[in-house]
Parts: sequence; structure tokens; C-alpha cells
Amino acid sequence: MNNGKPKIGIYELTGCAGDALLIVDCEMELLDIFTAADIQSFAMAKSDNIDGELDVALVEGSVTTEKEISELKDIRERAKIVVAFGNCAAHGGIQARFDDKEWQENLKKVYGNQKFTHTKPVRSKPIDEFVKVDFYLPGCPVSKEQFLHFLTRMLKGNPPEHYPTPVCVTCKYNENDCLLNNGKLCLGPLTADGCGSVCPNHNIPCFGCWGPVENANAIAELHLLKEKGFSVEEIKKRMANFAGTKLADAIKQL
Amino acid sequence: MKTISIDHLTRVEGNGGITATIDGKTVTEVKFNVFEGPRLIERLTVGRTPEEDVSLAPRICAICSVSHKNAVLRAMEDALDVNVSKKIIYSRELMHMGEMIESHSLHTFLLALPDFLGYPNAIAMAGDFEFEAKIGLEMKNYGNHIMKVYNGRWIHGENAVIGGFGQLPTKEDLTWIKSRALQFMPFVNKTVALFCGLDYPDIPEDDTLYVCCEPGNNEYGFWGDEILLSTGEKYSKYDYPKVTNEYTVSHSFCKRSRYNGRPFSVGALARVNNLGDRLEGQAGEMYRKYFNDRWKKNPLFHAAAQALEIMYCFERIPQLVDLILADREEPALIPYTTKEGTGTGLVEAPRGTLIHHYAIKNGLVDHSDIITPTAMNAEEIERYCHIAAQKLLDEGKEDEIRARMDIVVRAFDPCISCSAHSVEIERVPETAWKDRLLELSAKKAPFFVGVGTEDRSDDRAGLELAARLKEMGIADVYTEKDIDSIRSIQEQRPIIFLDAVNMGESPGKITLIPVDHVLRNVNNSHKFTPFIVGALNGAQIKNSYVLGIQPGTTDFGTEMSSSVKEAVQKVVSALTN
Repeated sequence: MNNGKPKIGIYELTGCAGDALLIVDCEMELLDIFTAADIQSFAMAKSDNIDGELDVALVEGSVTTEKEISELKDIRERAKIVVAFGNCAAHGGIQARFDDKEWQENLKKVYGNQKFTHTKPVRSKPIDEFVKVDFYLPGCPVSKEQFLHFLTRMLKGNPPEHYPTPVCVTCKYNENDCLLNNGKLCLGPLTADGCGSVCPNHNIPCFGCWGPVENANAIAELHLLKEKGFSVEEIKKRMANFAGTKLADAIKQL
Repeated sequence: MKTISIDHLTRVEGNGGITATIDGKTVTEVKFNVFEGPRLIERLTVGRTPEEDVSLAPRICAICSVSHKNAVLRAMEDALDVNVSKKIIYSRELMHMGEMIESHSLHTFLLALPDFLGYPNAIAMAGDFEFEAKIGLEMKNYGNHIMKVYNGRWIHGENAVIGGFGQLPTKEDLTWIKSRALQFMPFVNKTVALFCGLDYPDIPEDDTLYVCCEPGNNEYGFWGDEILLSTGEKYSKYDYPKVTNEYTVSHSFCKRSRYNGRPFSVGALARVNNLGDRLEGQAGEMYRKYFNDRWKKNPLFHAAAQALEIMYCFERIPQLVDLILADREEPALIPYTTKEGTGTGLVEAPRGTLIHHYAIKNGLVDHSDIITPTAMNAEEIERYCHIAAQKLLDEGKEDEIRARMDIVVRAFDPCISCSAHSVEIERVPETAWKDRLLELSAKKAPFFVGVGTEDRSDDRAGLELAARLKEMGIADVYTEKDIDSIRSIQEQRPIIFLDAVNMGESPGKITLIPVDHVLRNVNNSHKFTPFIVGALNGAQIKNSYVLGIQPGTTDFGTEMSSSVKEAVQKVVSALTN
């Protein structure tokens, strides 16, 4: 603690930088965030970064190079609390869909036989494959509301709120017409909530970008979508897009 | 040994670094490293439906997610022959303006301005420049609001789909956007005055090739079906590989682009250079007031160009809202069927030209190619950092190199997730040339070419060295007189020019530098022999080096000075032991 302010570090591994950007996007709250917390490291927003002891480390992005593995381990050693911040850190992101063999083949297709001298690429994985993670805040990107709730609790030394429900719960509150009933391939029942059911609100089926909700019943969804006339392969592909490494095996076995 | 290294470039979006290597008084190499790991996004889109790819591809980048959305939509609608209404096109343009305002205000006020005012970040700057920080944040918030209204959320919104939108915003939403744009104008004027009036440093400056989309109809704009170069040349969007010519490098996961062997710049400065005289209204007036020749060669003017574009957007938004509201009857979404075909989508993301290309087969994406603006700017970032580092070194300001390179990188507003956070300066030991030379020779035996004049004392060094190597039984040694044989070399082997080079060092200093780096740096190219340029083709240039020896005197005479003789002996020993 520095003047009673928790020391926070915000780190980006491989991803779209959307979760770090979301913090910068808290335009009206940004000055307050920097006043209430001691932001030690935040490469996107500042140059005078210090890599020392931390109370909370927010880690965005998945692990895709050897350099990132050692960076992540260093962050873990320095931080009391490590948070997987966003879908890529929590589940591996869309780039975690390939298994080892597919990843090797596709790396070759993109970069040919290029040998990399600056760091060695590895298959994309979520951060909990390498270090212990204390809290997860998924999202693509994380929700501003969830992030601000999370931060406020952290600043007060309280554990963050838990969000165990799927998108469908909020979707019902929003009184949307069920897109599954309308024959659309909607992943709402399988997907963690936090987006405010934004896509169904716009008449667009859920694409699953928050990643799987706890206890997601993939088999029931598969049967339901089959009844609606979708092919098993089509459904499995759609489920796999944002599921990262965590549901990958379960989806393959469906 | 000296390396100036910024391991984590800050105040940019993504994860990368830059390294400058200094050998004595010469900057021998500058590398822009992208540490952001490979995500293989293009490959993730293959085998998926066009609809899935419209959601997957924009995940490349958060800050350009709307540009990626518009690019993938334009490509898919091109491939599937979907012709959306004018109202949908205006709506997408309005959404695009939201991203331009958001990204440009973030970069100008919050990431770049602290550099020019001398603060480590915007929060520290906000203490003394609260007004500027707040305008920046308010504009950014407004840009995000437009994207949220149109796309459901500002990062990775999903409302824009093939054929139109899931749902269109209400009249109330749109009139609010229009009235807010009008209210912002006094602040927009202050923004342009601030960034166009800043005293930008004159290092680095150099001639630059600028590339952007041709919006057509002699208008300014953020997309088109042709690519426009600052030379006046135009290419159809389908011929984009002729402009981009992508290739990979070992020190980065970000691919590179060159046009006719020449790196080129994309982004707000490229657009203002190529299209600025088409600006109308107040943006046009401001362009005519502030634009001058320095904008054509100094990347730091990116911030000024972005401020002009902010003004262009704020003037265009009320017009767009009126156009959209005039067309109330058009549906939000038009039906289409998936068919086979190929399509290309060309848009201007805030940081430059963005290209998406897809082939659809059996209802699924069969091939995809995505070229991002930071990938195109990567070579320019290296070139300008090289120029800045050499110029500052020449002026004896080595301690300023690191900070200046940091500013140059940031000027390009690189979005490294596109493909990079950091500056590294390496000073190599006296013997660095030797390790490099042996490393090169170990892979494939090089061709050696002696350059110089016989009767000008130390300027003979290259010729003398060539003669000695020949004596020692080394094959493939030429002199510059054999220029035709050198031109006809087909084999992929390194070509090493041996030459006396005035680097301002003490006599006898040896330096090995890639020809490519000599050519791209005006500060170096006047020191190194110019004859090389015309003699080689592009592939040869990439595999050529200059082994330079610092002469003592180049007066008439046939005797070389003792230190240069020693240097020649050192090279001969290195190669024959």
C-alpha cells in the first residue's frame, strides 16, 4: 500500500488490447481511477512504469510466446492478486482454437519457414495454464460496468462480485424475443453474462464472445439447435470460436 | 557495446519494442520488434461462414474494431454481390467517424501531447493542462458513443452485419449525435490550432511515399475502391498485392510491405498529403492555413493531420445525420444468399489503409488475407528511427536518441495488436564487423566487390583489399569495373562491397552495414558510395553489405596510411583464418 492506495499493474500479453483500451475508455472515471489507485504500470497509458511489488495485477491477452511466459511468471511473483482480464487471458481467446498440430500447420502457412530471432512463438493458451489466477473477469472486451464494480471492491479490499449466469438471464430481463425460438443459432445459454445481452437486443444472435458460462450445458444446446435444423458440425464450430482451450475437448466429444 | 533499447514501447496500443545498434559513429541497424505473439487470425477465419468471419476478423484490434468491421463487410458484400442502400453506407460512414474521432483524440491529446509538453503521461499532464486533457476525453467519449449507438458497444460491437444492421438507431439518437457535433465546434477549432501550431522538431525529416484509399468524386473520405499513391499512381483494390508486396522478417511477428522496393507511409498524414486539397469547409480553410512542405517529410506531423481529420469528421457528421434521416423508409437489413466469389474491402482505419480480402467457396471462407496499417508502416518506423538516431549521433546528441525514437514510433500511432511496447540502443564493440562478416561467410560464400580509386591514397583501401583476398585464393572477388558481372549474379549469396567510407571516425575503423540501411537513411547514404544503388536489383540489395574502412587521407598518392593498411590486414586475417 502506498499512502493507503493499492498498487495496480495493467499488463498486455497477446490480444487486441481491447481490455486495456476499455480502461482508457472510462473517460469520465479515468482521472478518478488514477487518483484512487496507485497505477504502477500501464504501458498503453503511461511511460513512467515501475515493475515492482503489486497488490493487483490485471493481465490481458493470452500467452503466445516464450517471452510472455517469463513475463507472466514475473508478474505472478510480484503481485498479491492476479486477475485474468478479458476472454483471451481467461480462456485463450479466438487464437486458442487450434490444437498443437493445427497450430503448427497454420503458423507455417502464415510465416513460411521464417525463423524468429526475437522470441519463440508458442500455441496460444490462457494464463492459468502457467500461473495461479485469483479472479476471472471475462469479456470481449470486459464490460465497463463489471470492471468498475470490480475495481471499486478491490480498492476497498473486498472480493469481487461473482457472475454465474448466462446471457439468457439478462436477455429475459430486457424482454427480447427469444432468437432460438426464431430459429437463429444463438449461443446465449452457453455464454457468460456481462454484455447486457447486447447482440440479442439488436436482433443479432449471441456469438459467445464472453466465453463459456460455468456449468454450461453444451449437450442440451446441441440437441436444441439440431432440432432447429443446424448441422452438428456447424454448431460445434460456432461453439468453438470463443471457447478457447477450456471447452475445446468437451466440444470435440459432443 | 551500446544498445539503445526501449523494451516496452509505451502509450501505443499493443506489445512491441525498437532497437538501435551503434558502431562508433554509425547507426548500423534499427529494428522494430513486435513481441505481440502470432494469433494467426487469417487462418482462424478459414472454414468459417462469412457471417462468423464478420465477427471474428475485427477481433484483430480493439481500437480499430469498427474499421475492421467495415473492411470485412465491404469485402464480403463484394464477394457475395450484396448491394446495400445509400442509407446503410451513410450509417456505416457515421459509425466510422465515431472511431476516427475516438482514436484520433486519444492519440493526439492523451498519447502524443504529453511528449510535446514534456510529461510522462496524460494524467500527469492533466494537472497543468486540465482543459486539453478534458477536451480529449470528452471527444473520445463522444466518438465511443457514436460507435455504441450504431454497433451495440464501442469495442467489438456486432450490430453491423452483411446486408446492413441488426437494428438502426432511433431519430432521437441521431439528432443527439448531430446537435452534440455542432456544440463541439469551438473545441474542435482549438484542437486544430493547438496541434497544427505545435513546434515539431525537424529530426527526422526525409522524402516519403504516401499511400491511402482513393475515395473517388474528388472527395475526402475513409474508403474507396482504388489505392492512391503520392506519386499520382492508382491501383484497383484487386491489385493491392502490387502495392503491398508482403514479406516476413525474423525480428517481428508483424509482416512488412514495400512498393517498388520502397517503404511507404499510411495514416492521417498520408491522407492529408494525398487528399488534403479536397477538404472543404473549415477543415479546408485550416488545411490551406497550416499545410506546408514539412508535412510531406516529417512523421511528427501525424498529430497535426489527425487534428485536421477530427475537424473534417465533426463537419461531416451533421450532414450524414441529415442524409440518414431523409431516407427513413429504407430497411435496416436486406436479404442475400451465400454464393461463391472473391471480394476485397479497402478502408482507411485511423492509422492507415486496411485491406481485407476473402474467397468464398461452398458457403465457407476458403482463403483470407488481411493487411493492417501498422504492418505497412513498420518499415517506415524503422527508417525514420534510423534517420533520427544517425542525425542525433552526428550532432553529438546521443543521449537524446532514445527519447526521440520513442516519439517517432508513437507519431505513427502504431496499433501493435495489429500484428507491438519498447526502444533499445546497442553500441557494439570495435570487432562487431568481424563476427558479422564470419557469420555471413559461414552460411554462403559471399561475392566481394572492391570499390575505390587507385591513385588517391586511402581511397584505394577497397581495391587493395580485393586484390589481397584474390591473392589468398578466395573465389569470386571483383572490382567495381566488373559491374556487369555483378549485375548478372543470379545466385542468392551475399554481396559485400569493400570501400573506404568517411564515417567521421579515426582512420582504420571498420564497419559492416547492410546496403539496405545505407539506402534508406539520407544521413548515411551521402557517406557510402552511391554507385551501388543503380547496379543491383531488389533481391540483391536485401542481401548486400558494405564493409567500410575509415580513410585517413584521400589526397593524390599511391601509398595508404599505416592505420588503413592495418585495417586491410585485419579483414584479410579474419577471412583467411
